[in-house]
Amino acid sequence: MSEVRDPLQVEFGAELEGLRLVRQAPPAGSASFSATYVGPAGWGRDPSGREGLARLTCHLMACATRRLDRVALARFLDHAGGTLSHEASPESAELTVWGPESSREELIGLLADVVLRPRFAPDDLARIRRQLHERQLRERTQPASRAERELLASIYPRGHPYRETGLGTPRSVARIDADDLRRFHRDQYTSGDAILVVTTSAPLPIVERQARRLFAEFERAAPPSIGPIPAPGGRPGERIVPLPGRSQVEVRIGGASIGRGDPAYPAAFLANEILGGRPLLSRLFQRVRERGGLAYHASSSLEAMRLGGYWVAQAGTGSDRWRKVVPMVAEEIDRLRARPPPPGLLRTIRESAIGELPLGLETTAEAHDLAVDVAYHGLPGDYWKRWPAALRAVSGPDVARAAEVALDRRRAVTVVVGPVEGR
Amino acid sequence: MPNLGVPRPRYRSFRLANRLTVVLAPAPESPTASVWVWYRVGSKNERPGITGASHWVEHMLFQGSPRYGKGEIDRAVVSVGGTLNAFTDTDFTAYYTTVPREHLAIPLDIESDRMTRALITDPEVERERTVIHSEREGNENWPEFRVEEELYQLAFRVHPYRWDALGRREDIERMTPAELREYYRRFYGTRNAVLIVAGAFEAGATEAEVRRRFSPLPETGESVAVAEREPAPRGERRAELSGPGTTPYLQVGWRAPAIADPETPATMLLDALLGGETRLFAAGAMWGRSPEHPSARLYRALVDPGLAVRATSDWRPRQHPGLFTIQAQAARGVGLDRLETALDDVVGRLARHGPTSAELREARTKVRRGVALAYEGASRTGFRLGFFSALRSIQSEDSLFRALLRTSAAEVRERARALFRDESRIVVRYEPTAEAADE
Repeated sequence: MSEVRDPLQVEFGAELEGLRLVRQAPPAGSASFSATYVGPAGWGRDPSGREGLARLTCHLMACATRRLDRVALARFLDHAGGTLSHEASPESAELTVWGPESSREELIGLLADVVLRPRFAPDDLARIRRQLHERQLRERTQPASRAERELLASIYPRGHPYRETGLGTPRSVARIDADDLRRFHRDQYTSGDAILVVTTSAPLPIVERQARRLFAEFERAAPPSIGPIPAPGGRPGERIVPLPGRSQVEVRIGGASIGRGDPAYPAAFLANEILGGRPLLSRLFQRVRERGGLAYHASSSLEAMRLGGYWVAQAGTGSDRWRKVVPMVAEEIDRLRARPPPPGLLRTIRESAIGELPLGLETTAEAHDLAVDVAYHGLPGDYWKRWPAALRAVSGPDVARAAEVALDRRRAVTVVVGPVEGR
Repeated sequence: MPNLGVPRPRYRSFRLANRLTVVLAPAPESPTASVWVWYRVGSKNERPGITGASHWVEHMLFQGSPRYGKGEIDRAVVSVGGTLNAFTDTDFTAYYTTVPREHLAIPLDIESDRMTRALITDPEVERERTVIHSEREGNENWPEFRVEEELYQLAFRVHPYRWDALGRREDIERMTPAELREYYRRFYGTRNAVLIVAGAFEAGATEAEVRRRFSPLPETGESVAVAEREPAPRGERRAELSGPGTTPYLQVGWRAPAIADPETPATMLLDALLGGETRLFAAGAMWGRSPEHPSARLYRALVDPGLAVRATSDWRPRQHPGLFTIQAQAARGVGLDRLETALDDVVGRLARHGPTSAELREARTKVRRGVALAYEGASRTGFRLGFFSALRSIQSEDSLFRALLRTSAAEVRERARALFRDESRIVVRYEPTAEAADE
């Protein structure tokens, strides 16, 4: 029986009625395993007027199954020594179990139960609705989350999946009932375009047999399409949102960017790392915090997804300092586009990104994230083994060209939220 | 004979002539090596006027030492793909660096250079002042931080647990570079440090390298013992705060034992029964807590019936008696009086009747299973060995684990009765201002 033991090599198994199986070896010496169901049920598929449905469904699925109510499910996990987590995004939903390898059979069984036979009990629905409501309030009143929300709403037009943060409104969440949940679950979770990623020391054929048995009810069918996606159409400019009574001002500059499948992704990845993505070495960290002493956090991120992406440069600073910070961040973004980075800087950032791969293999949970990434984006099984060569092929001019498209401040929006005067 | 301790990798511990404690935990198959230095110095060693000094020194130890100029520590580690950071608590400050296995020499060199010879220059202290302000301001944006800070100020009038590790605003404003240097000179040294090396390395060669790099350091570090003893409280203490926020929020605290006290295992089980888990013995968690425990008493009594959206308890292991706390965030339309009454009822019932045998069995299972994978990976190993070494001893983890598994329901009930007394209760309530009203 062949057995791949390199955690950087992902194996693709059989497709079980629309559920694609992917297996990865855990790091050497690890005694744990992890399994993730990834499906298309992100909040980009929230029906109009039912915003919040995708998050609510995903959360409720992790609460209880037909076999186990929420207390029994929690005890099941305690006995197995495992965890069950859930996460929704604009374009996908994930449910993950983790625990000792010796509990793999029972925990993947639980995952199958969660995916195929959720309970959607009325009291669970009421409880999660209350929690969601508090999160909606938090999103409005916390400067950091408010800034993120304002930025996305400024970049993307109504109807775009990346415009929302998936929490819905008090009114839309109040409208959601058990029928909505069951319908959304039936259409989006148990019908095609889903992936089961398992990081385990068990060989692929064993995982396949296990998955075939536990996910036998999975039905092959195409999920409803997401509908036409409007182009990002935000108008560049500055948006200032006063939230008095807070201590810190949150600054965001960002705009639409490329998706993960774009050939320019490795160059755009390095451009973002140079700007603010690489901890401690990036230009934003060095200039705003280390030389300027103006902020505790200054960084950037590139969210490259299936349908597209967006980038954000950010800093948290004082109400007396944000007017210095905003032009500083803007200058660094423009510098990246105007001139290729010096060869020494590019080399340092690139070798840092390559060198950190072993750190992603310390634990099964960390290694598993790499496999989920490969599986979800449809990348080759040896993607992470080829990643160093892909980065080394990127030149300085490539970085500048990628920044022109992927981190373009001319089309960006600036958002400032916190104890500031409005304009 | 069955192994009755925590499943832990093999390690070797020794002390250098300068009294630096060293722990080596080799794991040949690991892709990384992780170096941790735990100083038994934290905000407990500060005094009014220099609160936040430990945290500020933490920042300054990245700003340069004889062999590493400004920015060079970060560059040396991150350029090879490594990661580094530090954190400050009441009882300790921990610095860690994890690197690909072939680069172990880098963190060993850095730590030996900055243990006693960090350059804490005037210009760098001044530049870092606004960074620390900014860090504190970021925390102040959260009602939970403001409430907890108030809770500890109310609970402690004498003991240095009174202030947060970030320090008071006014002290961050006025502390001088000379005071910081003096604080560093007094406490940071071999006597107060534990060096942990975990991950892929050859034990003999690494021991030799550790001896070569760290043995020449002078034996330094004044006593970090704390003389202050907090007198027993003689009545409930309360405070009301208001400000931006979502729904009303509440924290209640009671004086709780120190990690070495015999009451600790029963206190940890109270945490598991009320909040759903205990720090350090929970599946998948290194130090933090999972927010949702539907089988826990607080969740069932406050979240299930719609009084709260979150409710949990917390006991942090500390060297000196600290606080056992309960936090609850009200659901929309629920006032703090109602929430507090329900919370009192939960702890009152536990104190009157103790846990059921089934509940206690579940809590023990959670502890036993939760710790099974606690040492996965070099970084987690470094954290855990360092934590127990710095606070007590590595072996104390085993005795604590065994005590958790044999504590009886009657002992838990007695602990609840002793802990949840009205006269030692501290309550801080937070009312959000009107802006959070529904759209």
